[in-house]
Amino acid sequence: MTAAIDDDRLNETFAALANSTRRAILARLAEGAATVNELAEPFELTLPAVSKHIKVLERAGLVQRSHRAQYRPCVLDAAPLEQISTWAEQYRPVWEARFDRMDDYLTQLRPQRKTGAGDD
Amino acid sequence: MTDNNASQDAVVIERSFDAPVGLIWQMWTDPEHFKKWYGPDGATISVANMDVRVGGTRLIGMEVHTPNGLMQMWFAGEYREVVENERLVYTESMSDENGNASSPSDIGMPDGHPGTTEVRVELEDLGGRTKMVMTHAGVPRDSPGAAGWTMALDKLAAYVGARSTR
Repeated sequence: MTAAIDDDRLNETFAALANSTRRAILARLAEGAATVNELAEPFELTLPAVSKHIKVLERAGLVQRSHRAQYRPCVLDAAPLEQISTWAEQYRPVWEARFDRMDDYLTQLRPQRKTGAGDD
Repeated sequence: MTDNNASQDAVVIERSFDAPVGLIWQMWTDPEHFKKWYGPDGATISVANMDVRVGGTRLIGMEVHTPNGLMQMWFAGEYREVVENERLVYTESMSDENGNASSPSDIGMPDGHPGTTEVRVELEDLGGRTKMVMTHAGVPRDSPGAAGWTMALDKLAAYVGARSTR
């Protein structure tokens, strides 16, 4: 199952959640569907600014918008949240990639590694 | 395949590096070295302030490239254990640029959760080579914010899951 983790998607989910306004929008949507106008109200943001946040959330799969209705309400989609709710395992690929880079970096340092300091 | 590990919310990774233990220690404690490998793909570590002693603070600034441009993220924490070339333990929370952990209201989540995690690095000198065991664990159970990022998300997910079947 772990092999099936979509790393890019996970990055997008975390990036989307890394913004307090977007988290507040999600918290609002947890109470029910809302239009962009309704979402904009409590934040004192312009409609374009709110739309931009919603687009990020849409791309991360956290928000869906109806294409049928004229006013296109936003609805929270919890699926990506369920994925990262086991965040620890989800972090494994991030760390593995980091340690790959550490390994590469150590290889780069090797020829210079003589008297301890590896700076340039 | 990993079902049995689900009870413990921690990642444990063991690696061996073809480098002396002192250099691996520097990878974690020297900002210039740390910046070279830590950033996830597509991210740059712009700031790495590390006061590496027990009780000392750390602040990591990360620039993430998103479709909407550059996004700055901050992570703050404190060193819990510092045993040179052997063991390094620090906490980490999302924060602002001054290292103030994001408050629950900032995060837009109902229950208090500093969202603190703990990173533990254990090194073993294999004579020129180094064995490293890294453990990244969720909020310590005894902390006041034990509700945690995970539980807040679980709750949100469960809440929405219950509603979405209408």
